[in-house]
Amino acid sequence: MAEIEYVRPVNLKDALNFLWNHGEDTKIIAGGTDVMIDVRSGALDKKYLLDISRMDELKGIELNDQGLCVGAGVTLSEIYSSDLLESNALALKKTAYNFAGKQIRNMATIGGNVANSSPCGDTLPALSVHRAKALVADKKSTRLVPVEEMATHAYISSLSPKQIIIKFILTPYQDGFADFQKIGRRRELAVSRISMAVFAKKDKEGRIAFLKFALGACTPVPHNMELMEKFLTGKTPTRELIWEAGGLLAQKMIEITGRRSSTIYKEPAIQGLFMRMLYPVVK
Amino acid sequence: MIKSQYKSIGKNIQRRDVSGKIKGDSQFCADIELKDSISLKVLRSGRHHAVIENIDVAEAMKIPGVLKVFTARDIPGENLMGIINRDQPLLAHGKVRSKADPVALVAALTDDIALKALKAVDVTYTDLVPLLDIEDALAENAPKIHEKGNTLFTRRIIKGDAKTAFEDCHSIVEKQYKTLAIEHNYIEPDAGAGFVDEDGTLVIYASTQNPHYDHQEVVNMLGVEESRVRIIQAVTGGGFGSKLDLNVQGFIGLALYHLKRPVRYIYTREESYLATAKRHPFIIDMKTGTDKNGKLIAIKMRACCNTGAYGSYGIAVATRAAVHGTGPYQIEHVDLECSCVYTNLTFCGAMRGFGTPQAAFAHESQIDIHAQKLGIDPLEIRIINGLKKGSINGTGQKLTDSVGFHDCLKSVKPYYEKASKDWVKQKTSPFIKRGIGLGGMWYGIGNTGVQNPSTARIEIDLKGRVTLFTGCADIGQGSTTILSQIAAEVLGILPEQVRMVVGDTKLTANAGATSASRQTYISGNAVKDAAEKLASVLLTAGVNKLKVSKSMLEFKDHCIRVSGNPNKSVDFAWLAQRIHAKGGSLSWQGYFDPETIPFDPETGQGTPYSTYAFACQLAFVEADVLTGEVNVKKIVAAHDVGKAVHPENVIGQICGGIAMGVGFALMEEFEFGKTESMKDYHIPTCADMPEVIPIIVESDEPTGPFGAKGVGEPALIPTAPAILNALNNALGKRIYNLPANLERVLKASIESGHFSPK
Ligand SMILES: Cc1cc2nc3c(=O)[nH]c(=O)nc-3n(C[C@H](O)[C@H](O)[C@H](O)COP(=O)(O)OP(=O)(O)OC[C@H]3O[C@@H](n4cnc5c(N)ncnc54)[C@H](O)[C@@H]3O)c2cc1C
Repeated sequence: MAEIEYVRPVNLKDALNFLWNHGEDTKIIAGGTDVMIDVRSGALDKKYLLDISRMDELKGIELNDQGLCVGAGVTLSEIYSSDLLESNALALKKTAYNFAGKQIRNMATIGGNVANSSPCGDTLPALSVHRAKALVADKKSTRLVPVEEMATHAYISSLSPKQIIIKFILTPYQDGFADFQKIGRRRELAVSRISMAVFAKKDKEGRIAFLKFALGACTPVPHNMELMEKFLTGKTPTRELIWEAGGLLAQKMIEITGRRSSTIYKEPAIQGLFMRMLYPVVK
Repeated sequence: MIKSQYKSIGKNIQRRDVSGKIKGDSQFCADIELKDSISLKVLRSGRHHAVIENIDVAEAMKIPGVLKVFTARDIPGENLMGIINRDQPLLAHGKVRSKADPVALVAALTDDIALKALKAVDVTYTDLVPLLDIEDALAENAPKIHEKGNTLFTRRIIKGDAKTAFEDCHSIVEKQYKTLAIEHNYIEPDAGAGFVDEDGTLVIYASTQNPHYDHQEVVNMLGVEESRVRIIQAVTGGGFGSKLDLNVQGFIGLALYHLKRPVRYIYTREESYLATAKRHPFIIDMKTGTDKNGKLIAIKMRACCNTGAYGSYGIAVATRAAVHGTGPYQIEHVDLECSCVYTNLTFCGAMRGFGTPQAAFAHESQIDIHAQKLGIDPLEIRIINGLKKGSINGTGQKLTDSVGFHDCLKSVKPYYEKASKDWVKQKTSPFIKRGIGLGGMWYGIGNTGVQNPSTARIEIDLKGRVTLFTGCADIGQGSTTILSQIAAEVLGILPEQVRMVVGDTKLTANAGATSASRQTYISGNAVKDAAEKLASVLLTAGVNKLKVSKSMLEFKDHCIRVSGNPNKSVDFAWLAQRIHAKGGSLSWQGYFDPETIPFDPETGQGTPYSTYAFACQLAFVEADVLTGEVNVKKIVAAHDVGKAVHPENVIGQICGGIAMGVGFALMEEFEFGKTESMKDYHIPTCADMPEVIPIIVESDEPTGPFGAKGVGEPALIPTAPAILNALNNALGKRIYNLPANLERVLKASIESGHFSPK
């Protein structure tokens, strides 16, 4: 392990100041569940570790006139047990159920998950379903960035080294069907091979009136799969229809990534998982 | 002495290691802090197959804090290791045969300095053609990895005339099965520490399954007298076969020999993955034939396992796979062959079951396929063929006692019948298919067709305190507790009153390896023998004092007394003093070596083991036909262990074996050159664990200590076959390659027509 200096500013202002001066030489650390892996392997070539894990400004989940706000420093354990998310963003809450194991969930933050820009980040599909925007700040300015734009490539974040994600602002959805599902090589503590999140509502006639869907782990950066919304909205969900939609989704994935060795599995499994997840909305 | 009831045997007494482990007091190797200890790191070749032209250590030696860079030249004794065939140098000499081969050993003041020095060692290689799989290694013009050629060993077991017998078979099944390399993944990574004591002895703490073997190897390597080296087994956090080979003991010994300073060496998980043994990948071609009633008539097996760069336990693995190829079934015509081939991968060695789990995957699939073809129930076909008292196995050995396979089948039967009627048919989600499957197994206890004795020593002091000395390494499986129970039972004292001195080559006698599920049976017998010798002299002294015959005496509460009469008793202290005064010995040696007859080299006929464990497991499995996910819901596991000395311990082994079996069946794939650590190697977590219903079957083994056999490896062997048979039952499609991962299960689902919105 190289010598890295550990810095823990007391508030966001100090943190942003520090980054303004030393951003290029600094790695932000929140829960550290991704960062520490690079520290141990020696892959991290920075002078400073800036700890933001105890900053109040990054904490808390609340519903206000901006929307449903989830602090970047909120841990997966907090998401796991949030009542507010239960009623306003159930898909996001469900991501926490199979996220890592308990010890990791206690440390891991949603901000870290997004900033890490792993294609397999489990919070991304649900955030995308809720049309989440990240509130990103540097010393001089703040801006709102759609989560789909938070990564430019796999593992490459669009954040500048001077920026911190403060929170995510989600569109809350109530009283519909919400779910998150993932496939890994074991039931817990596994990287997602495929993940998906959905929110759907039916009208009185049983047609799909509203649908948001996102696919995770299959494309280098998140895509909001609007074609699903277009294809399904207004239709009566039957098994055949959902199956067909799942097939379209798999084709869309292949369009984005091209065929790879993993496609042999992912192509049918995406269709299969979509079927399984949406089955409860079938009449 | 007639015993109506055991006092210690069969009791779930508190395990010896529990308190230390729960409180965190136990000292694993990495916890041992020796003052001013220096650090060791090994430079590994990083190439598959190459000639070493030159090793230049000059630059590395210049780095401040580097004490010495050792190469093969610095080894004063024999630079070769191997418990069965000696082919593995401690430090590469002349050539390297795998990427993991150690080329130089750096001793430095700190880990960081040592790591820096590794980078400064300059090795010039000329690459040779790498041989990465069996086919390459056996190709006609393949370069030789070792001088004797690339086939290390072949074991044949031939009985009757399989070729002709197949002509009359009604049902013939011929299939190929493949299994992959598996990492043991014990939670405690390999580590060791050492120092030179006042009288010049090199003391080495090791995380090991066989301290006395380590001792021999280090002595050999250093060319010193036996008494100059002392191996102490530290608390060991699992081994599963990998810690039968030396990990760091040799490196520590070499550094101590030259530098005479305290050292330690802890492998990172990555180094442990890269450099320690793996389970052998197998390719098994198996052909079996039955008559029209499902009775197995003939079997032919051609199996080959890839042992990587060195033999390690490869010969034992090939031998066991051949012997166990028939499964727990009586087959008249047997033609089994298993070879072991060198390649340029990290070496493979022992792992829980030595090739038997791989063979069991094949024979248990075969028997189910026969059942399906013939319309016979899978349980029924096992009953038809199962070994029983009087059966003759493939090696021509008649099984005379303790053949509990049918009892295992019987124990599983009610669960099996109920599940076939109810559980399998219950409606769940439309996309889940349920299935049940059986896995049978047999397993020879102890090493195969060779002498494998154990010794033990028991001592009583003048205060009447009993101490048992055993070289038997407890690696978490609980042997220390069990041996104390056996000694206590003989001497009529409480197990916790037996002081235990374990795994220290200065103090203990060789008990052989903690492997082959042999310690309860073999070391248990050695301990019993020692305890009985002591008991006998105590009784003789008791007769003298109590003036009744031996047959009227009993051991009770640290005394000998006239049976049933607490007033006529004499305590151990008095007896010990008396024996001592008369010049009698207070220290007794026990010995046991199971009766085996070596194989006929051509036909493999012989008596490979003196007793066998048997088991049958029933797996309840749910397969998601849309995603290929598999959920093992329940395993009913019936195990014939002879006598359960410590039932909870047996259950612990069964549960642990099943966890490992779930991994072997569904998710574990070690890819040489790719798999680096637990980040990319999946062993089951508790979320993947099925409910386990353990059933202990006790079919008394007359040669076992109080009837006991073993369970360590048997616990794992039937699990994967049972799961794979259950998957076939669920999907109507069989998988022949392990693991049955997401890809393979989804493929099976698609091919069987289950992948649909219906
Ligand atoms: C055993 C294990 C299991 C795991 N399982 C899962 C899983 O099931 N699903 C999953 O999605 N992930 C999983 N992960 C990955 C990891 O836990 C998550 O990505 C986690 O959300 C990261 O959060 P953190 O707070 O620990 O981030 P850190 O490691 O502290 O940081 C991660 C990255 O984000 C940056 N960062 C953190 N916070 C901010 C911020 N507010 N503003 C700007 N940049 C920031 C850091 O600089 C760094 O680049 C697992 C990791 C481990 C070790």
